[in-house]
Amino acid sequence: MTTGKLLRELRKRGVKVRRQGERLLLRDLHGALTPELRDAIEVHRERLLGAVEEAEGAGVKPVDSVCPYCGVGCAIRYSVDEREGRILHADGRPSPVNEERLCVKGRFGFDYAGHPERLAVPLIRKPSSYPKGPLSAEVRGDRRRKPGGLVDYAEVLPHFREATWDEALDVAAGRLAAIRDGHGPGALAGFGSAKCSNEEAYLFQKLVRAGFGTNNVDHCTRLCHASSVAALLETIGSGAVTNVFADVKNADVALIAGSNTTANHPVAATFMKQARKLGSTKLIVVEPRRIEMADHADCFLQIRPGTDVALYNAWMHVLIEERLIDEAYIAERTEGFEDLRRVVGRYPPEVAAGICGVEAARIREAARMFGQAERAMIFWGMGISQHSHGTDNARCLISLALLTGNIGREGTGLHPLRGQNNVQGASDAGLIPMVFPDYQAVSDPTARAKFEEAWGTELDGTPGLTVVEIMGGALQGSIRGMYMMGENPFLSDPNSNKVRKALANLEFLVVQDIFLTETAEFADVILPATSFFEKVGTYTNTDRRVQLGRRVLEPPGEARLDWKITCELSTRMGYPMAYGSPAEIFAEFTALAPSYAGLTYQNLGLTGKLWPCPDPTGDGVQVLFGDRFPTPSGRGRLVPAEFAPAAELPDAQYPFVLNTGRLLEHWHTGTMTRRTRALQELRPGPQVDLHPEDLTRLGLRDGQLVEVASRRGAIVLPAASSDRMLPGSAFISFHFREAAANLLTIDALDPDGKIPEFKFCAVRISPAE
Amino acid sequence: MPSLTVDGRSIEVPAGTTIWEAARRLGVEIPVLCHDPRLEPVGVCRLCLVDVGEKKLTASCVRVAEEGMEVRTSSERLAACRQGLIELLLSDYPARPADRYKTAPDLLVSQARDLGIRWPSPAGGFPAGDGRGIDASSKVILVDHQACILCDRCVRGCDDVQVNEVIGRTGKGYATRIAFDLDQPMGQSTCVSCGECEKVCPTGALSLVRPERGAPDAVASADTDWEVL
Repeated sequence: MTTGKLLRELRKRGVKVRRQGERLLLRDLHGALTPELRDAIEVHRERLLGAVEEAEGAGVKPVDSVCPYCGVGCAIRYSVDEREGRILHADGRPSPVNEERLCVKGRFGFDYAGHPERLAVPLIRKPSSYPKGPLSAEVRGDRRRKPGGLVDYAEVLPHFREATWDEALDVAAGRLAAIRDGHGPGALAGFGSAKCSNEEAYLFQKLVRAGFGTNNVDHCTRLCHASSVAALLETIGSGAVTNVFADVKNADVALIAGSNTTANHPVAATFMKQARKLGSTKLIVVEPRRIEMADHADCFLQIRPGTDVALYNAWMHVLIEERLIDEAYIAERTEGFEDLRRVVGRYPPEVAAGICGVEAARIREAARMFGQAERAMIFWGMGISQHSHGTDNARCLISLALLTGNIGREGTGLHPLRGQNNVQGASDAGLIPMVFPDYQAVSDPTARAKFEEAWGTELDGTPGLTVVEIMGGALQGSIRGMYMMGENPFLSDPNSNKVRKALANLEFLVVQDIFLTETAEFADVILPATSFFEKVGTYTNTDRRVQLGRRVLEPPGEARLDWKITCELSTRMGYPMAYGSPAEIFAEFTALAPSYAGLTYQNLGLTGKLWPCPDPTGDGVQVLFGDRFPTPSGRGRLVPAEFAPAAELPDAQYPFVLNTGRLLEHWHTGTMTRRTRALQELRPGPQVDLHPEDLTRLGLRDGQLVEVASRRGAIVLPAASSDRMLPGSAFISFHFREAAANLLTIDALDPDGKIPEFKFCAVRISPAE
Repeated sequence: MPSLTVDGRSIEVPAGTTIWEAARRLGVEIPVLCHDPRLEPVGVCRLCLVDVGEKKLTASCVRVAEEGMEVRTSSERLAACRQGLIELLLSDYPARPADRYKTAPDLLVSQARDLGIRWPSPAGGFPAGDGRGIDASSKVILVDHQACILCDRCVRGCDDVQVNEVIGRTGKGYATRIAFDLDQPMGQSTCVSCGECEKVCPTGALSLVRPERGAPDAVASADTDWEVL
């Protein structure tokens, strides 16, 4: 019996049949099914199942690539519907990075690429929309932000007109060149992106350095691990991790400091949790919030925000006092021990206890657990780095590892968990104002001569300005023109009100992005770029693993590849750039970056390779610095740090400490994840987490709208009761423009890393009007 | 290093290697539902039964290879066992469970097809239950308890691989089913939506909410008078 005949027979007997997708729904059977019909249904059912499976298999192309979100860089196979040009689903691939695992963002966060709001045509600001300023009421700040809102296209787009690529590129290049020629190269600056590939980052900094003629090039690493890198370069001579995160399984103890790992590096977190559950690794978690990882910890210290230096000095005090240090390692591999001993001598646990709010006995217990480990690893995140004393925090962690001889062996090491999928690579490629690619100082005449020869032009030997300094320059008028590739400083930088004035003050701004961002509202020219899924490039993960991202989708409309846009702009500014492919750019970069020597598109394979990779047939070097450090003396430097309080302490007027960070389901300024169905449905809006006692004290209910105000701004959002918070502190994620946490944060900078203090400012909380 | 033969071919394997793994190294795929090389074997589906010359058949995913073992992976007796097991599982398996999207083919259905087993007729005398229900509370994962064969893969994926420790079991006998936290609806549990459970689930019990359709309309649970074909 055919399917059609079966349906006719059923209908004849009064059975209602409804088709729903591939299913058939039957109603009013009333015993209508004769044995023959039942058999026919069975036959039909089997055929239907077969047909469905064939349909699901047909026209589906698997593409092996990597994840566009965090620094873990999970290997992913995307299943793509070729006819519709759409990703159907994502699977984790076998790889040392993720062993087929994914988190919610990697698994479900891909549909933003096909969002109807993708920019597909170059845009030029209309003459009537000058003088420049924010275009949407929300960014102007004169209207309460709508919940769930991204940039309102209906409000912003009418201020721009569509243009051809030639016109847009000519305007952009012409205006930037005019500023360069009229006011000097120092009046220009560029923000690259840690979301873009190594090739794009390399070309971008080359354009700024060789085309603009300045070192004013930076990116969001400044906002994440700049202080960690500063401390690492100073102490052990290299800013990268010394061991991969998956090696936690070989560690006896892992210290996780200032990292909400399950939310921000979820797949790395699974390796840590698994090492403890199925292996013998003990976890020590130090955090001001009782984060999920604390539930898995053998020892959890809930310290007061911003008191890390006091705590780790006390640990070192205990380690030295109880001789839990590796004296041979200290003698052979380090320098500066006496200075360190003198400083930490002033921090017995009893002193630290008063600062950190943790009992002295528990500080000793944690220090002993760490010190008694044969092999210990240290992981840290933004909770360490995003402070005005972030470099000091990192120095303490590095000293801890050096004192106990925990660098250079399996199961040991320093691992600052990198935030963006390519923040390691973008830094390696030179999107940093002080250094050329591979951390070769711009002030070093030898390095400069090398790059001048390679790039065929004279280069500036003065280190450029950093992110927050560039914004300050824009506000003062010394920075006049900017090229912004995939960055959204309006939401990502501290003190948004100041950023708004700075952006509005720019004479000329080119924004190259995939969506209309808050920052694009201040642009003169907007260039539609390609998303991660539409390009080929390499990305370097937190482990230093260089992996190939492959093209999964076609770009929308006239959107162009980022590296091609950079080449066009550069050429039109009088510094010709021409490449045939990303592989060619990668080859130029690796030839100038000794750390990347030996890596090619041909040998990266499906799972990439770690740098350094002296043996091109191998997987690269997993554990670094087994014999010596890349410092002038070959030794690691123990740099002592004194405890210093945060820049803005709570007082009677602003009694709460505000901590900012990220949520599992969203990514940074939300431009991608808030356009992803699953992620937006899972986490539709912002909230401020407060301890239940604080809610009671303020007479607030869970879920009630509150105003959170600092000296710099105020936002309104619902309060959420959370006993994971310390009383007196508040937590807000910075993903949501309708309650942008960075309106509140302070732009106080760490003196070495120039990183802003995102993790600490004083706020007051009151019921919203 | 014990050496053994699988279907007459000999192989030497490290101590502690299971028969299933030893066979795989020889290129012999023993059918299985509850096992996946990424997970600790539990031996609950019994589909991987092999004959090692003992009175009883043994589950190759958990049985460790022994010196001199002679393993047979196919015989009339084994085929009959596997057919019985699969027919039992299929007898109350929904033909088209809810509005599902699987990232890999349904292993139960494809094993049945590979082994030449027909869908058991309702007249065949197998007990068939219904109404274990659908949990459509999650934004990303659809749970069709009727299609669950209690293979424990999702439990291990959630607890041992991702170490989120959300999924467990609840109930007794036929009413046994997987549960989230203390038997919360999935969408209200501490599930972090990593999708590992769908990835390891061999049947239609855990599937993805179809991205293009938004949240599932959950027809099967709401319109109970519609019979799903």
